[in-house]
Amino acid sequence: MKKIKKDKGTLILTIVAGIVALVLVTSMFIQVRTINESKELDLEGLREDELKTQIATYKSKYEETMEQYNSNKNKIAEYTTAINENKETTEILDQELEQAKTLLGLTDVTGQGVIVTLTDTQEALYTYTADDLLQLINELKYAGAEAISINDNRIINLTDIAMISDSLIVMNGGKNRISSPYVIKAIGDPKYLISTLSIKNSGYIDQMEANGMKIEVEEKNNIEIKAYSGEISSKYIMEVE
Amino acid sequence: MMGISIGLGCVLGIIIGFIIPTIPYTASQYLAIGIVASLDSVFGGIASTIKKNFDIKVFISGFFVNAILAILLTYLGEKLNVDIYLAAIIVFIGRMFNNLGIIRRYYLGKISEKAHAKKNKKEEN
Repeated sequence: MKKIKKDKGTLILTIVAGIVALVLVTSMFIQVRTINESKELDLEGLREDELKTQIATYKSKYEETMEQYNSNKNKIAEYTTAINENKETTEILDQELEQAKTLLGLTDVTGQGVIVTLTDTQEALYTYTADDLLQLINELKYAGAEAISINDNRIINLTDIAMISDSLIVMNGGKNRISSPYVIKAIGDPKYLISTLSIKNSGYIDQMEANGMKIEVEEKNNIEIKAYSGEISSKYIMEVE
Repeated sequence: MMGISIGLGCVLGIIIGFIIPTIPYTASQYLAIGIVASLDSVFGGIASTIKKNFDIKVFISGFFVNAILAILLTYLGEKLNVDIYLAAIIVFIGRMFNNLGIIRRYYLGKISEKAHAKKNKKEEN
């Protein structure tokens, strides 16, 4: 009887010891896992000291970022002013470019000037030659013409006029063929242009008419001269530095 | 028998501890206090066994009630903004060292007794 009682006590003790070990180890493992997991967790799980250090780090980071932000802001302001300045320069450059283009003959232009029409006739001593055209253009330029075209072919600084046969005149390296009647448009001061052309005896009109050629000069307020249609390319010239 | 039971409890505890999902971090504070209280009870139980005044009722009630009380006190401290858990930890750990000291001295005494017995035997021979 006594032995059984003792055995019963031992059994209970054994069970209790097992349960105690179970509960203790289980809760310890849960705790360890919780702590391990929460190490990488967010701010809510942190202790006061950790929070303090975190705040200090963030504060210094914030200050750094703020400094960077300010310097960036200043840089942006600098760049903005630079851009504005550049804009002005660009505008000036654009204007200059436009002007250069206009002078070169790369744009359609309009203005007051004269239209000279040269027509070959039977009564004339000879038909118009390239030299006649060159002379006319030269005189127009002398009179201050700013833009000249022959049969809507723009005269640019490199334009050549050459004669291939009696009735065939080519311009711009043979690209443009022209024939009578030659309509020469010139933009400039019409008074100067006409007076230069119509100087008594030695003037162009008188010279031509002396040879029995037909020449008409017309003053016009808005002459339109088209842009040069070809390409301007250079192979040999280089800027001297 | 006892060792098997404890070992089985430990193994099962490890398995269950890995399966059960973790608790929120704020709750882990209470669990820690509970664990410390339970550990104190276990060492207390061992010490009382050595002192031969072990009572299973006292042990079981101490194991659970101490843990629950410690948790409740910690909770109260949290509410009152007093670190009551510090007091609990000091008491429990202090007692744990006490009990550990008792256990240590008991086993030290046993070892020295054995050595003494051996010496006596040799002298008798």
